[in-house]
Amino acid sequence: MLQLMGAAAALPAVGGLAGCGGSGGGNGAQGSGKGTLRLAYLGDASQQAAFKALFAAFNKAHPGIKISATGIASGDWATFANTISTQLAGGKEYDIVDVATEGQLLMSSKNVLEPLDGYIAKDKAIVDAYYGGIDPHLKEWTKKYGSPDGKTYFIPGGYNSMVLYCNTEVFAKAGVELPDGEWTWEQFKAAGAKIKARTGAYLTALGDGSFPFGDIMPWLLTNGGSTLDADWKNPTFNTPQAVEAASYVKSLLDAGLAPKLGGTFDAAAQLAKGKLATLGGGRWPTLDMRRLKLVDKVRIMSWPTKTGPGSPIGWDGWPILRASKNKAAAWTFLKWLMSTQASQFYAKVGGTNIPALTSVANSPAFLSDAPKGSKLLPAAIAHGTPIPSPKQGAAVQRVVSSGWKSALTGLKPVKQSLDAANEQLKPLL
Amino acid sequence: MTISLTRRRAVPRPPALQPSVTAGSRQWVGYAFLSPALLLFVLFVAGPFVAAIVLSLYRWDMLTPARFAGVGNFTAMFGDPLLYRSLANTFVFALASLVTHLVGGLLLALGVNRLKNRVLSYFVRTSLFFPFVISWAAVALLWKYVLDPSFGLVTYYLGKLGVDTPNWFNDPSWALPSIIGIDFWHTIGFTFVIMLAGLQTVPNTLLEAARLDGANAWQTLWHVTIPMMSPTIFFAAVITFIGAFQIFDPIQIITPQGGPDNSTMSVVMYLYQKGFQSFQVGYASAVSLLVFAVLMVVTLLQFWGSRRWVHQ
Repeated sequence: MLQLMGAAAALPAVGGLAGCGGSGGGNGAQGSGKGTLRLAYLGDASQQAAFKALFAAFNKAHPGIKISATGIASGDWATFANTISTQLAGGKEYDIVDVATEGQLLMSSKNVLEPLDGYIAKDKAIVDAYYGGIDPHLKEWTKKYGSPDGKTYFIPGGYNSMVLYCNTEVFAKAGVELPDGEWTWEQFKAAGAKIKARTGAYLTALGDGSFPFGDIMPWLLTNGGSTLDADWKNPTFNTPQAVEAASYVKSLLDAGLAPKLGGTFDAAAQLAKGKLATLGGGRWPTLDMRRLKLVDKVRIMSWPTKTGPGSPIGWDGWPILRASKNKAAAWTFLKWLMSTQASQFYAKVGGTNIPALTSVANSPAFLSDAPKGSKLLPAAIAHGTPIPSPKQGAAVQRVVSSGWKSALTGLKPVKQSLDAANEQLKPLL
Repeated sequence: MTISLTRRRAVPRPPALQPSVTAGSRQWVGYAFLSPALLLFVLFVAGPFVAAIVLSLYRWDMLTPARFAGVGNFTAMFGDPLLYRSLANTFVFALASLVTHLVGGLLLALGVNRLKNRVLSYFVRTSLFFPFVISWAAVALLWKYVLDPSFGLVTYYLGKLGVDTPNWFNDPSWALPSIIGIDFWHTIGFTFVIMLAGLQTVPNTLLEAARLDGANAWQTLWHVTIPMMSPTIFFAAVITFIGAFQIFDPIQIITPQGGPDNSTMSVVMYLYQKGFQSFQVGYASAVSLLVFAVLMVVTLLQFWGSRRWVHQ
C-alpha cells in the first residue's frame, strides 16, 4: 500500500517566471529552463497513469521542457528511498525525486540535494502564497524533519492521513449504526462483535505491521503513543500506551474480528463482497472504491480513539538534486507543482494523496466521486503526527514491524515483544 | 635396435604447422572466441568479487564518501548474533534441501525410468520439471495463497477433515519448514532431470550381469546403480548445496521481514538488508565474503569426501 504521492497547489501557474537562484548551475541555470527533466517517483502501474497525465499537463504549459519520468513500484516509501539511494550510488542521474517523509531526512543528510533557499528568495511571492494556502504544519514539519541543517531542500507536496472506509451495507445488515462523529475503541470492537455474529464479516484487516503507517501508527496515536519521540531520537515503542494499543489490536485478532496475519487477504475485494466492514487507509483506497464501484456504499470515518484523535501524517517533498544539470527547468517544474492548476488536475485524474492546498482539498476536484466523509482526510492533519522517519528508516521499520507481529501472533507476550523491539531500535537512532 | 634406428631418422613435420605467424593468428582467434565469456566473467563475477573485497575494508553508505575501516567489518561479524542466526537458518535450509533433493530426485528418477509407456513417461517428466521453469516470484505468491491461514486451500481441506493447521509463515516453528517444502516443490524437477540423465548412463550390461548373478532389485540398486551414478549424485550434491545456501527470493517474498523471530532470515537476505536497507555496504560485503568462504570450504570438503564414495 502506498500512503502519499503527487503534487500540491496554491497559486495559479505563472508562465515564463524568471529563473532561479541558489547555486543554479548546469546548462539550464537561466530563465525557466529547457530540455529534458529526469524525474523519479513512487508509483505502481495504475498510479503511473495519473502521473503521466500530470507530466503531460506540465509539458503543455511548458512545451520547452520534457519530462523523462521513472515510476518505481517499490510498495512503500522506505523501499523507494533505498532504491533511489542505490541508483544514485550507481551513477544514475535525476534532476528531481519525489521523496516522502520516510526518505527526506535520509536524502537531506547525504549532501545530494540542492538547497532551495536561493530559488525561493527569487520567487518569494509565489512560494509565500503557496505556503499561505497550505496547512502550516506542512511547512513546519518539512523544515524540521526534512532540512535539519537549516537549509530548505524540499517543497512540500500532497500528504496523507489515516481514516477508515466503512461498508455501510455491512453495518446496516448487522443492525449497527455508524456514529455521527468520533467513535471509541470499545464502540468499534462492540460493532465488530455484532457484525461478526450477524453477518460473518470481519470487522477490519489489521495488516501484519509491515506497513507501520497504516497497520501500527493509528492505534498508537489514538492512545497517545508512538514508535519514537517527537525528535525521532529515542524509541517509545514499549510505553504503557503502546503496549495497551498492541494488546487491544491483539484482542481484535484473538476474537476473530480480523483475518489471521500472514495471509493474502485482499481487503478492498473483501470489502466489496461484504465480507469486511472497514478498511483502513488514506486517500489511496478511494481509487479502489472507484474501481470496485463502491463509492456510494462506503462512508469514511475517523479512526476510533482511546484517549483522543490521532493520525499519522506522511507527505511528499519535491527536491532538486545537487547533481542536476538542468536546475532551472527543475525549479520551473516545482513552481508549476505549486500551482492550483496542477493540484486540481492531479486531484481529478486520480492522485493518491490529499492536495496540500486546503482550498483544493475541500473543493469538488477532491471531494467529488469520493466516499462520503472524505473531508475527514484533510481535517485529520489538525491532530496528525508525522510518521517517524529517521535516517535508518527501513531498518527501523523492520524492527517495529517484527516487534508488532511478535506481539500480535503471541510469539512473545505483548510487553516483552515491544520491550525487545524498543531495545533494538536504540542503536538505529 | 629399433630404438636406435628410430632416433637416427628425421621426423617430418606437417608443413601447415610450421609458420609461427599462423600460430599467433590462431591464438588471436581463440581469444576472440573467448572474449565474450571473459568479458561477462570480468563484469559480473571477477569485478564484483574484487569490489566486494575492497568494500569490505571500508564503511560506506552509498551516498557519502567511504571511510577506511581495516578489518573492522570482519571483527564486527563476531559479535553479531543475527548473523549467527542467519547462518544457522541457512545451514538448516541447505542441508534439508540437500537431503530431500537427492533422495527425492533419485526416487523420482528411478520411478520414471521404469515407465514403459513413452507418452506417459514424457508427460511425467514434463510435469515434474514444469515448476522449475516458473519464476520464484510466482511460486512464492502461489504458495502464499495456498497456505493462507484463513482462506488457503490447505487450511480449507484440512479443516474439512477436522485438522487444525498452523499459521505456516507466522509460526517460528513452521516458517522455515514451509519454505523448505516450497523450495522442494519448485526445484526438485531440476535434480530429478539430472538424476534421470545419470541413471540412463548406467550400462545395461552391468545390470544384466547383476540379475544373472541373482541380485534382487535392492541389491542391484545399492551395489550397481548407485555406485555407477555416484558422479551424478556428487554433482547434484555440490550444486544443490551451493544453490540452497544462496536462497533469497522466496524468503524475501513470503516472509519479507525474515519471518517471525528471524526464523527464516537467510544469510544472503541478511547481507541484502545490511547493504540496501541499513546502508552498511562495507559490512554487507564482508558478509558476502563469508558466504563465499563457507561455500568454498564446504565444496572442498565435498570433493575431499568424494574420493571415498564417488566411482572414478
